[in-house]
Amino acid sequence: MDPLDAHGGAMSVRKAFAIAGVNLRRLVHDRTGAFFVFVFPFLIILAIGAAFGSGFTPKVGVVSVDPGPLGLDLLSRLESDDGLQVQRFADDGALRTAVERGQVEGGLVIPGDYDERVRAGETVPLSVIARPVGAGQEVQIALDAVVDAQSVEIRAARFALAEGAVDDFDQGLARADAASLPAVEVTSRTAGNRVVGTFDTGAAQELILFMFLTSLSASSMLIETRRLGVSTRMLASPTSVSTILLGETLGRYAIALVQGLLIVIGTVLLFQVDWGDPLTTTLVVLLFALAATGAAMVMGSVLQNASQAGAMGVFLGLVLAALGGCMVPLEIFPPLMYRIAHLFPHAWAIEALTESIATSAGPSDVATNLFVLVAYGVALLAIATFLLRRALTART
Amino acid sequence: MRDAGTIARKDLRRRLRDRTAFLVGVVLPFGLAWIFGLTLGDVESEGFDATYAVVNRDEDGQLPDRFTALLEGLDFVTLREVTTVADAEVLADDGTIDAAVVFPVGFTQRVEAGEGGSLLVISSPDAQIAALVAESLATSFASDLDAAGLSVATVAASGAAVDADLVARAQAVAPGALIRSEDADDRATSQATFFAIGMAVFFLFFSVEFGVRGLLEEREEGTLPRLLVAPIAPSSVIAGKALASFALGLVSTVLLTVATTWLLGAEWGDPLGVSLLVLAGVLAAVGVTALVATLATTTAQAGAYVSIVAVVGGLLGGTFFPISQAGFLGTIRFLSPQGWLMEGFQELGFGGSLGDIVGPLVGVLAIALVTGAIAWTRSTRMVAR
Repeated sequence: MDPLDAHGGAMSVRKAFAIAGVNLRRLVHDRTGAFFVFVFPFLIILAIGAAFGSGFTPKVGVVSVDPGPLGLDLLSRLESDDGLQVQRFADDGALRTAVERGQVEGGLVIPGDYDERVRAGETVPLSVIARPVGAGQEVQIALDAVVDAQSVEIRAARFALAEGAVDDFDQGLARADAASLPAVEVTSRTAGNRVVGTFDTGAAQELILFMFLTSLSASSMLIETRRLGVSTRMLASPTSVSTILLGETLGRYAIALVQGLLIVIGTVLLFQVDWGDPLTTTLVVLLFALAATGAAMVMGSVLQNASQAGAMGVFLGLVLAALGGCMVPLEIFPPLMYRIAHLFPHAWAIEALTESIATSAGPSDVATNLFVLVAYGVALLAIATFLLRRALTART
Repeated sequence: MRDAGTIARKDLRRRLRDRTAFLVGVVLPFGLAWIFGLTLGDVESEGFDATYAVVNRDEDGQLPDRFTALLEGLDFVTLREVTTVADAEVLADDGTIDAAVVFPVGFTQRVEAGEGGSLLVISSPDAQIAALVAESLATSFASDLDAAGLSVATVAASGAAVDADLVARAQAVAPGALIRSEDADDRATSQATFFAIGMAVFFLFFSVEFGVRGLLEEREEGTLPRLLVAPIAPSSVIAGKALASFALGLVSTVLLTVATTWLLGAEWGDPLGVSLLVLAGVLAAVGVTALVATLATTTAQAGAYVSIVAVVGGLLGGTFFPISQAGFLGTIRFLSPQGWLMEGFQELGFGGSLGDIVGPLVGVLAIALVTGAIAWTRSTRMVAR
């Protein structure tokens, strides 16, 4: 039997909470710690809210210098489309810069000879500049739809002219306009959802990324504890190793949990970000915080000094997060990488959150994901406990 | 100055011995680039692919068959047989198919009679992009039908006889304009470039961190007094530390640029512009991390502070995901050196030249100067104690 346990007796949950309290108080008094726990989440809330908050109509840039009546017609169709906010630019250099900087999600250039070329029967290629990540794809589709709508009338006018039904192109356009027919509409929705429309997985990816990163960064605090010999001093008192470990775990878990919940609540209240089913979201945050805590403690017990832990922690955090689907969307992962991604808790957490956002999935719909997250939490904490116990008791 | 060089060499040799230099300078850049490359996949061999289904409830009409034929002609599409909407929902829900396009009863008849119609796209929650593509395909198919219908109606209004030949001719009319979609390769390169730039700028601050904490480490380990007793100016000690971290940061970043170009296919742009921006960036990183380190009392604290600066600066500067320049976030972005660097590198990546990055270069160098000066003053005072 572990000689140290004999001194401390059974595990005391009350003492564990006391230890957790001491750790947390120390963290809050330290400027760095306080910043990490309280201020940092708000920056993440700002970033997520700005990108994924509701009332977000994508901005498009349009360059149209003297494009003739048809070009102007296209421009006015774009401007009257409810799903787009149009900003005019003088030339495509200015448009390109605006796209790079994120001022607009995408842009379209209407060439100066648009009108002539269309009248001449050409199919004018229009180039679209879109951001490689973000809402670039959706914007391109919205632009497609507007261009297509104008093209419908143009084709009718061309046909009328070719068949000799009208004398010139403008007459053809007028006839086409007059003959207007009900269109074939396309609506889309996600399976299992009554609501029409699309959604974005980005917010889920970012929440998981930052919960994980901050857990790993905070692990340097644990190493600090060992360095300062605090744990050894605690061991000298009638406290069992198990109690100390529980106390350390509780402290870290509290931090990870508070941050995750802060971000979710903050983005909902301040930016009306839609996380779907509240219970599912809360459970995912609760359980992923557990897994992140476990991972952070394993890392904390493996790395030898605090300075290594800081940089290595962030490096590892980003690598694992990238593999788990926090950066490049899981959807684009090649098949093998997709399977590898599911070796990490991140992928499971992101997919559960995505289901919730897309279809308001309740906990029972994502039960598998939740069970996997529990398993990760338990396994990682068990490994961490084993390693820490060995490290602490090695001092005898 | 020579003394500074000696100190720098000593530090670097020590880093090489404890393998930190190797880790940070070589493993980190190549490892990161390789992993990101894995997740992005190889566009040539894998590309984008989607599994779709067409639910045909319009059994007598030939329009659903036409759409199916259209999908079969696309090499990135795999088609599955699905007969009912309920089945499609289940398959989309569990991700077996990415999206299903539903043709309702009597669709063809209604469209041919000029009454319009509706198509429904049911998508899988896990297949955001494939769903958008499906919607896009359905929309352009619908648009084609609209065009043919309107063409026939326009001509019929002036009394022409509507027969199969007329309809066929109507369908053959060329569209007025088409959006030229981005080449899949171009898009993949842009994504790879974005992630490459973000990674490089983010890790810059970690790769210089090691050298910069050097002073604090020496103090903690008790070797600082011994260094100062030696006949070298205290300023040489500080300069030496700065030099070491500059060297490590530079090597690490250059290798990351090379690794991402080779392993990810990232396109950084004009080499001269990139080199200048990298140099300025490393200088700024040394300045900022040095300043931050002088605010700390232990190496652990310094490490923590630097982590915060790197993560927060990276977040605000847009290294993890694009930060819109709109509003408040757009302004504070330029408080972080990462923000300036991202701006500059993206400009180059999009094809800009030296003239386009004057702003970012000036911004980054200004940060380097200011932080470096303050850090120098504080370090000198600390060493003098």
